[in-house]
Amino acid sequence: MRSKLYTLYTLSLAALTAGLLPAQETQSGGNPFAQAKFVPDISLILDASCIGRNHSDEAMERLVLPGFTAPEGNDAAHAHGSSNGQRGFNLNYGELVISSIVDPFFDLFLVCDLGEESFAIEEAYFTTRRIPWGLQLKGGKFLSHFGRLNSMHTHQWDFVDAPLIYAGLFGESLLNEKGVRLTWVAPLETYFMLGGEFSQGENSMSFGRDGFSAFDGQIDVKGSDGPNLVVAYAKSSVDIGHLTLLGGLSMAHGKNRINHGIEEGEALAQAGYGTTTITAVDLTLKYLFDSIRCLSLQAEYLHRNGAGDGWFIEPLAERLFVSAPYEQRQGGFYAQMVGRLNKRVRMGGRFDRIMQNDGSRPGETASMPNHLTRYTAMAEYNPTEFSRLRLQYTHDRSLYEATAPGYIQKPANEIILQINLAIGAHGAHAF
Amino acid sequence: MKKFLILIFLAAALSAQAERVQIVTTYPYIASIAEQIGQERVRVHALAGGQWDPHTILPKPSFIARLRRADLLIINGAQLEIGWLPPLMNQANNPKIAVGSKGLLDLSRFVQLMDVPASVSRAHGDIHPDGNPHYYLDPANIPILAQAITAKLIEMDASGTTLYRKNLAAFLQAWNEHLAIWDSKMEKLRGVTVIEYHKNLDYFLSRYEIKIMATVELLPGIPPTSKHIQELEEKIAGCKVCYILQDIYNPDDASRHLAAKFNIPMVKMPHDVGSVPGAEGIFALFEEIVRRLTHD
Repeated sequence: MRSKLYTLYTLSLAALTAGLLPAQETQSGGNPFAQAKFVPDISLILDASCIGRNHSDEAMERLVLPGFTAPEGNDAAHAHGSSNGQRGFNLNYGELVISSIVDPFFDLFLVCDLGEESFAIEEAYFTTRRIPWGLQLKGGKFLSHFGRLNSMHTHQWDFVDAPLIYAGLFGESLLNEKGVRLTWVAPLETYFMLGGEFSQGENSMSFGRDGFSAFDGQIDVKGSDGPNLVVAYAKSSVDIGHLTLLGGLSMAHGKNRINHGIEEGEALAQAGYGTTTITAVDLTLKYLFDSIRCLSLQAEYLHRNGAGDGWFIEPLAERLFVSAPYEQRQGGFYAQMVGRLNKRVRMGGRFDRIMQNDGSRPGETASMPNHLTRYTAMAEYNPTEFSRLRLQYTHDRSLYEATAPGYIQKPANEIILQINLAIGAHGAHAF
Repeated sequence: MKKFLILIFLAAALSAQAERVQIVTTYPYIASIAEQIGQERVRVHALAGGQWDPHTILPKPSFIARLRRADLLIINGAQLEIGWLPPLMNQANNPKIAVGSKGLLDLSRFVQLMDVPASVSRAHGDIHPDGNPHYYLDPANIPILAQAITAKLIEMDASGTTLYRKNLAAFLQAWNEHLAIWDSKMEKLRGVTVIEYHKNLDYFLSRYEIKIMATVELLPGIPPTSKHIQELEEKIAGCKVCYILQDIYNPDDASRHLAAKFNIPMVKMPHDVGSVPGAEGIFALFEEIVRRLTHD
């Protein structure tokens, strides 16, 4: 059969070369340089919300997480920053994700954060594809894999907002730095991973590189050059029947430049420079009842230890500052339980507590409130895996108004209805 | 001396163990075929359990450890694993099984897929743009998959060629014998009409010319609404439906309701090796599917 066809082919070829037959197109035209098939995976996620709160927006902007955040208007991020900031309707973000295999050696990911009037590169990084021995290199700007929650995007979170201790130590956008990361997965039956990151350390809540100058040069701190931050972690996981456990230990260490309104000389403003070390331990348990129903428990404890030289504006005397060494010892945890009841419904609760909040300077005991607590409950309805409606109620006892005599607690009650939609080629999520 | 010999024997046994081709498969049915072809030259591990919904496997970190040490990863393909496997492969970062390397075998490349959608939109539910991915439930496709796995094993471990060929021949012979029996048993169901929960068994049913009137779920991956159930009831009323076929992982309340209302037997159908007791291997899986439909 094949030889017969071949004979026919050579015959027609002979006829062609002899000029007896015109050449026939086997495929119709089109652009010979078309590259449409090389289009990378593109997806867009939209997040919007409607909020009811017992404090007015203005009052809310004045509230702080004592020892962690400064009132809005200062450059430091705030627990209720750009997302879900206002009572009523909020357009929180559009997240544009573009990713593809570059070549046999690299993958590329780009995550853009689209605001109403802003465009920001949230993440832009490569990962290697061909390094053997279980090693992988990642480079660019990316969410640190510190702890359990930090590497997850906002739309992967089980609650609308970040846990209190994360928001307090890193801000709502978490630890997101320019740098490199090397991970190693051990060649064992059990999952064991070691990772290290080396990055600029620009996070203004705990690290920061920008210098500052105030009071006509009486306070003058030079910026620090990067790379400024080292992060390391170990993670391991075991399966026991239908139960999966994942645990991790993490550490972040770097120089800091803290500046909470020192230029303006406001009451309670402070600034300093020194070093910060943050350690964390995390544990996640997921139990599968069947293919659809599952229960997960997740808890993390984070601790910050910072020390250096600082300046403090006296509470009752604006524009008068003292210079003294400072120390920060702050720690807190969150514990959350989320259950998936059926294909569409998930429910969960979270308990946040910061139980250590000590800042000190010589000759004075810290007066910052301890026991900052928040309770959160949520219920989700997911018509499909691409759309989600979430109702969240928060009773927040962690917010205070910073006044000249000291901190005054302002408990907040908040109800959020959130919608999150994803279109396009959006990649699957990790565990 | 005796102890020394035992030590040597142990060392040899251990090194033989180490030289085995480490195969990871996404689903247990692939593992069952690969074990029968590779036998003592391979070590096979399936990531997903047969009792889980194959579309939404929980991507456990322990899978990363498995993928990290694999020489060969065999997947179902046709995007059945799209919701759980890619991040695991990225985290395991094993160049041997990366996309484009010879240690990744996509079985869907060897078969003709049904229901390839002409246009793709999520308005139609969780559709698979490459076609229906449950092709392995056509018993005539299994020999093709066995051949593809054999060819891959020979490519990766040439010194086992004779053994792999021998095992394949034995597998194919046994399969054809079983297939003849299954075909004759299924003959009596030729032409009947059924309802499926999800489009799981289309390949199996079309082989025996069994008509699928509708699916219980509204659209692929989207649970039924009460309006959809009402429409189904109207359809069933004017038609003779032989079975309602329900998979083992989706809620069966809607199927149960329809079955009770119209007095149609609801049959729980296994979809993979290990999904139900009695479906412990690739032969037993089809044995069980045929048994549940024909009762013999």
